Amino acid sequence: MMEIFFPDSLDELWAIMSANPGGAVMAGGTDLLVRIRKTGRKPPALFCLERIDELKQIRENEKVIFIGAYVTHQRLLENLTVQKRLRALWDAVSVLGSPPVRHSGTIGGNLCTASPAGDTLPPLYVFGAEVDIRSKSNKRSVSVAEFITGPGRTSLHSGEIVTRVSIPLPAPGTISRYYKAGKRKAMAITVASMAVQAKKDENGIIELIKLAWGSAGATVVTLPEAEEFLRGHTLSEERLRQAGKLVSAGVTPIDDIRGSAAYRRMVAGNLLLRLAHEN
Amino acid sequence: MLREPLTVGMNAPRADAFTKVTGKEQYAADYYPPNLLWCGVKRPSYAHALIRSIDISRAKEMPGVAAVLTHKDISGSNRLGILEKDQPVLAEDTVRHYGDSIALVLAESRYTLQQALELISVEYEPLPAVFDPEAAMLEDAPVLHPGRKHAFLETEAGVAWLEDDGALVIVASTQTPFRDRTEISHALGIPSCRIRVIAPYLGGGFGGKDGITVQAFLALAAQHSGGRPVKMWYSREESFLAGTKRHPAILKYSLGCDQEGILHALDCRIVMDTGAYASLGCEVLALAMEHAGGPYRIPHASIEGIAVYTNNPVAGAFRGFGAPQAHAAIEQVIDELARIAGFDPLEFRLKNAVSRGDTTPSGVTLTQSTGILACLETARDSAAWRERERWESLAPPFKKRGTGIAAINHGIGYGPVIPDNANAKIELTGEGRLIIYAGVSDMGQGNAATYLQIAGDILSQTLDNMELVLPDTAQTLPSGSSSASRTTFTFGNALIGAAQALRKRILERASLLFTYQFFEHVRAEDLGLVPGHVRHIPTGREIHLSFVSTTMDQSERTAANSYTCPVNRQKPPTGGSLRIHGYPHRVYSFGVNLVRLEADILTGEVTVCDFIAFTDAGRIINPELFDQQVHGGIAQGLGYTLFEDFLVSEGRILTGDFGAYILPTALDIPDIQSIAIPLQEEDGPYGMKGVGEITINGAFPAVANALARVCKTRISSGPLTAEKVLAAISRNEVGKNR
Amino acid sequence: MKINFLLNGKETEIEIEPDRRVIDLLREECGLTGSKECCGAGECGACTILVDGESRLSCLMLAAQLEGREVITIEGLAKDGCFHVVQQAFVDYGAVQCGFCTPGMILAAVDLLRRNPTPSREQIREGISGNICRCTGYQKIVDAVYFASLALQGVN
Ligand SMILES: Cc1cc2nc3c(=O)[nH]c(=O)nc-3n(C[C@H](O)[C@H](O)[C@H](O)COP(=O)(O)OP(=O)(O)OC[C@H]3O[C@@H](n4cnc5c(N)ncnc54)[C@H](O)[C@@H]3O)c2cc1C
Ligand code: FES
Ligand code: FES
Repeated sequence: MMEIFFPDSLDELWAIMSANPGGAVMAGGTDLLVRIRKTGRKPPALFCLERIDELKQIRENEKVIFIGAYVTHQRLLENLTVQKRLRALWDAVSVLGSPPVRHSGTIGGNLCTASPAGDTLPPLYVFGAEVDIRSKSNKRSVSVAEFITGPGRTSLHSGEIVTRVSIPLPAPGTISRYYKAGKRKAMAITVASMAVQAKKDENGIIELIKLAWGSAGATVVTLPEAEEFLRGHTLSEERLRQAGKLVSAGVTPIDDIRGSAAYRRMVAGNLLLRLAHEN
Repeated sequence: MLREPLTVGMNAPRADAFTKVTGKEQYAADYYPPNLLWCGVKRPSYAHALIRSIDISRAKEMPGVAAVLTHKDISGSNRLGILEKDQPVLAEDTVRHYGDSIALVLAESRYTLQQALELISVEYEPLPAVFDPEAAMLEDAPVLHPGRKHAFLETEAGVAWLEDDGALVIVASTQTPFRDRTEISHALGIPSCRIRVIAPYLGGGFGGKDGITVQAFLALAAQHSGGRPVKMWYSREESFLAGTKRHPAILKYSLGCDQEGILHALDCRIVMDTGAYASLGCEVLALAMEHAGGPYRIPHASIEGIAVYTNNPVAGAFRGFGAPQAHAAIEQVIDELARIAGFDPLEFRLKNAVSRGDTTPSGVTLTQSTGILACLETARDSAAWRERERWESLAPPFKKRGTGIAAINHGIGYGPVIPDNANAKIELTGEGRLIIYAGVSDMGQGNAATYLQIAGDILSQTLDNMELVLPDTAQTLPSGSSSASRTTFTFGNALIGAAQALRKRILERASLLFTYQFFEHVRAEDLGLVPGHVRHIPTGREIHLSFVSTTMDQSERTAANSYTCPVNRQKPPTGGSLRIHGYPHRVYSFGVNLVRLEADILTGEVTVCDFIAFTDAGRIINPELFDQQVHGGIAQGLGYTLFEDFLVSEGRILTGDFGAYILPTALDIPDIQSIAIPLQEEDGPYGMKGVGEITINGAFPAVANALARVCKTRISSGPLTAEKVLAAISRNEVGKNR
Repeated sequence: MKINFLLNGKETEIEIEPDRRVIDLLREECGLTGSKECCGAGECGACTILVDGESRLSCLMLAAQLEGREVITIEGLAKDGCFHVVQQAFVDYGAVQCGFCTPGMILAAVDLLRRNPTPSREQIREGISGNICRCTGYQKIVDAVYFASLALQGVN
């Protein structure tokens, strides 16, 4: 039997964690409980974050939005700043799982699962998000790229948890999008996806562009050469097609039952073309 | 609507909906008899192996384990099987696929059960296994149809117990309560008369509960449970592993026409992989062969069929029963031939479609209503077909549009040898209510509600005044399986006779009662049934049905009627054993499916925009239930066309749960337009034919034909996933650049 | 461990292992078999319940998480013997076939209409996209939810 704890504060959490070594942190449980069922391996204790108010807050100033680790996908969907200024993240959560999964699943859980198919990850990469980490005795922040170290692996040490994600708010006039290909239109694990953040000048020339691909490698894939190729140009279909070739060559996906590596390569490149019709 | 007498043709509400929307309906999975023991099965680690030894000692000693049983505890033949008895309840010396059963454990909790199952150790001697039904056939890009899982929402479930007198009671989610009794009796050596099987409403079946799933385990467990009730409920993973699936098929076709577009010759070969046990493999193959040439006149046809054993998961009945595989092939080949020969695909079908009196490619002479021409003509005149090129030309950026059709047919009932028989019983209670005893399971298709509607129509009663007894071998009469598009067709005919007999008796007795009241001879012709009462029409005086029932004893208050469907007595020129397996049929439903879809040329994802189903399934008893079958069958068809892939590697299932086996969600299925072409069928009750299966046959070829227009090439194996569509599109783009 | 929560409007105290799943608590301890388990892994929605008004999957929740919460299952939706509008619409518009998805589907629809009282057909499809139905093809379910939304707005 697993012991289940519901600390009301971080301090209480630290105390419980040190008294129960080997336990696991649980946020919404949509990954953790599925994994426990599948493997049959139960940790001795679960530390549930659901009653720690500090982890549920969303705060923002002019420059940054701070999203608590226990903010559910549903709350992100409803947040006006996310809707208006972080559209790629909003796109991603709107196609993540299903309504009840979004009611339970959290941004912290999506990050810590560190799946190459995790839908919030590519947007967090293109926005340059920082992950705030705490333990009983320590506090640190790392970029998402540093946080995710491999498929299912993060730079969290034992005793540490993610407390919040900080996302710099893009300058006005910046567009961002997330495109996902899955095996069906809802409850679909991403087969290939792409997040983009871009800013054009008044002539439609790209000044700034950030791109990241999901399910296209062991972790989220970024390709500075593709960004470089597009910067200083308009997003014509032809230019995007050429950039897409760089992308198909640059990503490093695998074969699995959801799709072959060849398919993922092709789609990763093709998704760029969607930009030809975005304003 | 509840106060109106039920009438055939109306949208009568489903009686079962009321208890289903409140959560009160008790399915087999919902039975938790007090003091129950949980049962579970040890599965093998090899697809094909000899069992050297089974060590159950550690499991047996575990606290909380009540019993561990092996084949040694079985006193009957230990052989299950619907016609071919080839499947052991618990393996003796050989396992033949990963879903086989080695030992049965009874435990206090599900947790203990899992642990005990792991403590059973089995020594194997692996044997060479066969996974590929006929690798040698793979020349010439045949149509490949992979397996599919029923994925009913209620996984296999049931409970069982022994009554004080030792008689066995099983409550199970089953399409075949009466046949189950016989199978269990044979396998476990329990006399049939000592077994009672009860089948509550099923949480879906689609053929996957046609025959024994958990019933034999429950029966065996109940005999060794120390008098305690036993329960079994497969997890989704176990349902995938141990349940049957649709037959994977390899289909190879040649088809020829003359310059006028008249079809002359068909040569085809169908190989089906039935897995480790026969189940209904021969019957499914026979139906595929019967439908192999589609609803066309093709005077010269050679149709070859082979079903092979492998060490793959067992294939069995699944809605459509072989016909979807056949239609997937013939309807694509027809489209290709039309294209090559330069004909419009719909006109080409019209030229060749059968009408009553014609003979199908499989040699069946159509003596009954035949609506394929009417369906095709209606489709031809639809706006979706007439304006298809314009619609296709308006595709948004990075999308390509295509329109496709398929013409389909489906045989109704069991065929010529196994009697397609049902026995209906109806009772007038002392309170003046009517009880219909339905011996055919309702797995969700609403046949039980239709029985109420038929009886209500004949006896002019409202839903309020009627009750149903669902299949129960102790109360209802044997009426065959819930399958083969026969549940309303056959039982409905039986019920009409029973209800009419009871009506006649009620009116006769009522005329006596009125005669006593009026002191004047009252004739039955002057009486009419109204809800709850019999009315003397000239005076308007009424007497309550409970009063009428006081003039009868129990035997008179019930009426029963047996009905056996007429059969097609034609003998096929070759393939003599086909008749035993169900060939040929007499009555067919017909249909045309029209699909408009959009493929994303960046990802290959397909969106089905419109789906129109033109269906001749005879006259319609309940339009709403008719549409339910149309919608549901098509949704399942679209699921297996676009998403569902039962991937098996070396006998192991790779897509064995709902995370990996992709079912369509509400966002993946469009609104479906259901257009009935309701021709009168003299064999069917009220002129109806079955609609349960015709609806699943057309989605695959219609979509494949639309995609062939989009991709300018064909994808030879299902499902038509985004990946294959994108590959096909880009193959073609590359070709264009050259 | 003792857990206190409001179950279908009734204060409930239950002694249970804290790591039992909520679906097991409901079905096996409370006798509420209206919530169905069809996958146990979040993929089908048949086990949907409302927790503090929000749709949640009871196969992916542990009993202890219910402490202090308000839970509504399909059995608690009808009030004073009268169907909830959504239940009535499911009957009236033919949205029920085998019915095994129905309880979860109805609760998903109730949750959707709370969040969005005037959904389009497409939004309804999205709102029930976590609930698999193998029988209906969804169309009549979408009809039912749509007409329930009209009824809740007082449109006839
Ligand atoms: C049916 C279904 C569909 C899904 N669809 C998608 C999808 O489309 N896209 C997608 O990306 N994901 C999907 N998921 C996966 C999952 O829902 C998401 O990854 C979700 O965001 C996980 O969040 P959670 O709060 O439930 O995490 P949990 O399961 O609670 O935790 C996941 C892991 O992270 C750890 N953890 C959680 N929070 C913290 C923290 N603050 N600090 C340290 N460690 C922590 C846990 O210990 C655990 O190892 C789906 C899941 C299901 C069941
Ligand atoms: S049983 Fe909970 S989602 Fe399927
Ligand atoms: S009605 Fe059967 S699963 Fe929905």
